Amino acid sequence: MWRQIDGRSRRLAIGDAERRDSIKRLGTTRVRRRPLAVDSCAAATPERDPTTGFFVRSVGPRLVARLFVEADRTRGTLFALWLDLDRFRQVNDSFGYAEADAVIARIAERIRSVVGVRRTLLRVGSDEFVVLLPALDAPSVERIAGQLLVVVDQPMPLGSILFRPAVSIGIAARSSTDDPLSLLERADRAMMEAKRQGGNRFVVKAAEPPRGASGAQLAREELEVESILHGALENGGLELHYQPLLRPDGSLEAVEALMRCSVAGRAVSPQQFIPVAEKTGLIVRLGEWSLLQSTRCAARLRCQGCRAKVAVNVSRAQLTSPSFLSVLHAALICADVPPAGIELELTESLFMDASPIVQANLRGARAAGVGLAIDDFGTGYSSLSNLKDLPATKLKFDRAFISELPADRRAFAILRAITRLAGELGMLVVAEGIETVEQLAAAKAAGVDATQGFLHARPMPEEALLEWLRAR
Amino acid sequence: MVESTMNVPTRGRPNGRPSLANALDDAIRAIDIPPRPQIIDRIRVEVLSENPCFHRIGQLIKADVGLAAGLLKTANSPYFGLRTRVRSVSEALVLLGLELTARAVAAISLRRAFPDSAHYVRFWDSSARIAALSGWLAQTLAPPGLNAADAYTFGLFRDCGIVILLRRFADYRQTLARANGDAERSFTAVEQADYPTDHAVVGSLLATEWWLPDEICQAIRAHHEPSAIACLGADPPLVGSRLIAVSQTAEHLLQQLTGASRTQEWTKLGQASLLLLGLTEESLRELHAEAATILAATD
Repeated sequence: MWRQIDGRSRRLAIGDAERRDSIKRLGTTRVRRRPLAVDSCAAATPERDPTTGFFVRSVGPRLVARLFVEADRTRGTLFALWLDLDRFRQVNDSFGYAEADAVIARIAERIRSVVGVRRTLLRVGSDEFVVLLPALDAPSVERIAGQLLVVVDQPMPLGSILFRPAVSIGIAARSSTDDPLSLLERADRAMMEAKRQGGNRFVVKAAEPPRGASGAQLAREELEVESILHGALENGGLELHYQPLLRPDGSLEAVEALMRCSVAGRAVSPQQFIPVAEKTGLIVRLGEWSLLQSTRCAARLRCQGCRAKVAVNVSRAQLTSPSFLSVLHAALICADVPPAGIELELTESLFMDASPIVQANLRGARAAGVGLAIDDFGTGYSSLSNLKDLPATKLKFDRAFISELPADRRAFAILRAITRLAGELGMLVVAEGIETVEQLAAAKAAGVDATQGFLHARPMPEEALLEWLRAR
Repeated sequence: MVESTMNVPTRGRPNGRPSLANALDDAIRAIDIPPRPQIIDRIRVEVLSENPCFHRIGQLIKADVGLAAGLLKTANSPYFGLRTRVRSVSEALVLLGLELTARAVAAISLRRAFPDSAHYVRFWDSSARIAALSGWLAQTLAPPGLNAADAYTFGLFRDCGIVILLRRFADYRQTLARANGDAERSFTAVEQADYPTDHAVVGSLLATEWWLPDEICQAIRAHHEPSAIACLGADPPLVGSRLIAVSQTAEHLLQQLTGASRTQEWTKLGQASLLLLGLTEESLRELHAEAATILAATD
């Protein structure tokens, strides 16, 4: 199970002096690293990295193995923390290696100041470190990770600017089935997850559940959800609810279709059923079903004189299907809706998927006149440089970002800047997760084209939506 | 025959504005591709509830005379496999069970769901005959994993996408003629050359919307693809492949018996279908007499 604890809520934050740097912070590029393996040349390399004084990568597995033996002897614990600096490549690219090395040396010093000089510390990549913590309990380790986030986060001079480093940390606790490599790999995966969640945070990755009770329990739950989904697809247990997106003048810009599933009075949340649907491939049928239902809804809205678009979420599995465009057109034909009547919502990583089939499907949909929205913008590997190449017509700022409004002036500055930029690129900007009047005012002041959230309306069945429209 | 499949109660229109129910009803009528009839949803609500009430479902079906008559006819048809002759909707419900009843209601509703069905009489009649022969073949040949009701439903829904495309595109008729006459390319490849989609995709989408089982929806999507029934390496072959093979064979039987053959599908899919069902052209001919009886009963 994943556990996530945010670092200080600084994601996408921006100050006037740091605007250029912070906009870059939207990009969290990851450099491909060598796979971790015991280096056969270890004996020939010095054991210490000259910049940081940490052990070098190649001796890692040997050191971890030694700590394993020690932990076995004392029946103690062992935690591995994998640290990866966020957006460090930009320091390398912009300031050169000498400056970058100086930054690394200072960060190493900060790490040492938190964990102590006697701990086993490794430099495993240009901007990646491993900290090994034996004989501590989980809360102590999490406390240390929290301190690391804070201490790394302090500004430091870099060239003519003040640079604020940030780090993503993955934590793994040794389990009885671990070997040194599996422990490190798990910490690495946890770090990647922290990065995926936006960076500047730590994520704890527990050992895979043993093939005992808990693993069986998990499998049973998944099977149950899968059988509910099958039942829902064949017995009418699916429903779409629609949440309005309003323009600043209060008119309806679009509605987003969100799937609900319940069988025999038992509702299953999207958080429960979507992962299972993705795993089993059922997501394709669910997606096709909701595509047709959404276009039907668009048709009925049009019959009411309402030209609002209906936005429908599409999954990776749908977009990698060669028949995606056929299905899209079939839905439009069945419902007799022009392509401009609907909009597909997908994550930015899907937009940037380089596979030819995904790109062909996206461009085919766009060429037909269907709108394409980037969902959850600002949460993942958002990158401004990619925006110009995407065939998107709309950009939806994630609720996690909007929730920082209006208190966080830097968040507001980013929202305003990107709204202007997106506008010049021909995209509409939507702020999701608007819950308070203050957030709405801030979003409007930033110039967004539409807002969505509980403040306007919760997702509701189609009939309720029509009533809601009439009542306005 | 144009019939409404909707049971939206008529309400007044205060202040000259349409009531919501009327507005919805009008909206649905304006869209001439049939959404799922409400009766299907109402039955599904019962099926999904913890204590389904047969009486309530019976009342729903009886409220629609055409549907009730259709259900009796379907329940008494050979391909739904009842040994007893049913005389009332209640009996049909008990003997068929909720699942098969829902399937039967979907089958009965399909043709009625299309306004102006009269324009496509030949099409629907041919679908009904292929469906009946498919149900009967599934019963006679009993291929593993395949039941007659599924084969019947598949036969009926298999080509419904054609009607949708005919209604939407004036020149689809020409494409259809070309697709029927093409002995090289797959039927759907000919359609895809002219349109951004094809009747198999449209049909499978409709079947999904009508809550038909996954195997049927998938088979509708693939029913013109030779690879869908040629995968004999798979053990056991998928139910969907057998559905396709049975309906192709049913269509071929129909063409043999009526002497009307306007398609090239048997040329493209016939051998694989026979192989999958363990038949030969010769053994197929031995089924002619009985198939003729089934056809006579259908008409």
